[in-house]
Amino acid sequence: MKVSKKIILLGHFGVGKSSLIRQFVENSFTTDYKVTIGVHILKKEVQIAPNETISLIIWDLEGYDDIKKTRASYLLGTHGFIYVFDVTRPATFQNLEDDITYLTNQYANTPLKVVGNKADLVTKSYLKENKAIFGVTPDFFTSAKTGDNVADLFTTLAKELVK
Amino acid sequence: MLETYRGTYFHPRTQFITIDKTGKVIESDNILFPLKKGDEISSINPFFEGLASYFDSKEDNDIKFTCVHLESKKKQQHTCDIEFKTFANGQPSLVIIHDFSDHYEYYQEVAQSRNESVINSQILELQNKYLKEKEDFKNTFIANFSHELRNPLTGVTAFCSVLQKTDMSLEQQDYVEVIKSSGDHLKNMIGDILEMSKIEVGKLTIDEELFDFHKLIEMLAFTYTVKAKQKNIEFEVDFDDKIPKYIEGDKTRIKQVFENLLENAFKFTTTGKVTFTIKENQRRARKVNLNISVKDTGIGIPSEKLDIIFNSFTQLDVTQKYSGTGLGLSIVKGLVELMDGKITVESEENVGSIFKMNINFKYPINQENTSLENKLDIEYKNSLSKEKYNILLAEDSELAQMAVLKILSQEGHFYLDIISNGEDVIESVIHNEYDLILMDIRMPGTHGDELTKMIRSLPVQNCKTIPILALTANLYDDDKKRYKKMGMNDIIEKPFDETTLLSKIYKHLK
Ligand SMILES: Nc1nc2c(ncn2[C@@H]2O[C@H](COP(=O)(O)OP(=O)(O)OP(=O)(O)O)[C@@H](O)[C@H]2O)c(=O)[nH]1
Ligand SMILES: [Mg+2]
Repeated sequence: MKVSKKIILLGHFGVGKSSLIRQFVENSFTTDYKVTIGVHILKKEVQIAPNETISLIIWDLEGYDDIKKTRASYLLGTHGFIYVFDVTRPATFQNLEDDITYLTNQYANTPLKVVGNKADLVTKSYLKENKAIFGVTPDFFTSAKTGDNVADLFTTLAKELVK
Repeated sequence: MLETYRGTYFHPRTQFITIDKTGKVIESDNILFPLKKGDEISSINPFFEGLASYFDSKEDNDIKFTCVHLESKKKQQHTCDIEFKTFANGQPSLVIIHDFSDHYEYYQEVAQSRNESVINSQILELQNKYLKEKEDFKNTFIANFSHELRNPLTGVTAFCSVLQKTDMSLEQQDYVEVIKSSGDHLKNMIGDILEMSKIEVGKLTIDEELFDFHKLIEMLAFTYTVKAKQKNIEFEVDFDDKIPKYIEGDKTRIKQVFENLLENAFKFTTTGKVTFTIKENQRRARKVNLNISVKDTGIGIPSEKLDIIFNSFTQLDVTQKYSGTGLGLSIVKGLVELMDGKITVESEENVGSIFKMNINFKYPINQENTSLENKLDIEYKNSLSKEKYNILLAEDSELAQMAVLKILSQEGHFYLDIISNGEDVIESVIHNEYDLILMDIRMPGTHGDELTKMIRSLPVQNCKTIPILALTANLYDDDKKRYKKMGMNDIIEKPFDETTLLSKIYKHLK
């Protein structure tokens, strides 16, 4: 059987978790906001080397303002995390540092990617100059709208999962 | 009967499935998802792939998942709670799927409206913050910039006065007059801009002093009657004599408001009449409430523009027929509001406009015994006691140095020392006996206000009392207060003209 890996998208509500997944899996984007409750699970084959693919089981969770409220059972057997925040809304990254510390302590060996989404709404220089305000340097700045860095994010994580 | 109800209201929405150690279906009651023996449980949804590591568990496990979205083969959405049980005794693992779609649909709607409203308010807050930052930046920028414009303008106005005193042909005098009046015009416009930006950043304060209100009105009546004659229009002042003669308020600002409105009325009226009405509305305790209006028969304001007439930079007529910054009315409104008053406008196109104000003023009950310090322009010059005075000018701008030098040398009463570096000032003050110091604020080295503080604390006779006058284009009230606190006696605003400079110097030499 093909290798399959479970990854989870976490972060405040409205930061674009579902949109990132939709962009990655279906190459589409909508400006409508439909709040996710509970969890949606999607699957996508990802090529990680010329002759190697894995299936990513992507768990799109409901957004919380406190990461510790995430239902414990959802996190069972996770191989990787993507923590998404919205670069335009401080409320979504004001606890970034604490949340990341919490995750790295609880799941020390599970790869984690920190993502600032909605990068299309601000300029590149804004992101460069404001890195410090996020508290943690994000691994990626993405845009679910334009697709910028989206595939790169998932593929990079996928590669780390099979190492 | 009960069974029928049960069937309608509690129709079975729960599916039981048993699976083997590889995740293949053994048995299923297919209430929600049709499965055959031997199907992969993951064929329902990749959700179950996440459980794969438990399929061959040899322990008792009971894991519950809430609110998982599953899609049936017929593309029907089910939002379910899922229970997964493994058994230590070798019994096959059990999957129980409860469909709670109705319940979760309701929950989704609640979450939807909650999240949307939270996000909207966050975005609104950010937009306001951003707008405010932008606005502050604009105002500070304008304030600083107009401030910078004042310096070169000092050179222009000061040297025009100097130039006018030299031998010139009539033609040349006319030219200088033009330069001077253009300079004055520019100075007024810069003044407007600076004032507006000060109002907007809340840096303008209203002073309260006792003054002769009747005299102010008489003065305005006189000035504008002359103007009206020149313009060939009528001017009427309807003044209620019962209004207290002496009131407390910011005379300069009140005058500015009246003048602005009158100027405005005159500017836009070519035939007919301007009426200036000042009526007492009521008195209470030590306060008198006045209704003041300026009415004209000018071009009027189109009704759709009435709302924006008090906004900054609005000039309705863009054809350049009427000059000005377009800030006059917004300054008026800003000032009236600073005085806790109200201003409104009514207007009809081609008929005229009326600006109405309602302002409260404090006034002393006992008007008879109110005496004002005689502030008439005393000829300070006549009361001078010395033949020659030593004056120190601490100023780094060459233009300003020359202006002061020229103006003072014409008088023949002064020796002038000029120092352009803050650091050398103290030295010089210790070694020379000056009668007065003109102190620029922004100088290389130490700033003028700091220097003043140092001079005041020098253990040299006369340093405590020597008049120090600030030369500055910095006109924020906070700054003015600070300069006074640092020990400066007076402030001469840049750009200054000959009369202002001399009258202040003479006043403090007396
Ligand atoms: N401009 C822009 N808008 C985005 C981007 N990503 C998401 N959005 C918008 O942001 C809103 C929320 O996106 P979702 O993907 O539903 O956010 P979520 O993180 O899944 O939210 P929850 O499910 O409530 O946790 C939607 O209106 C999207 O259109 C992006 O990269 N750029
Ligand atoms: Mg979502």
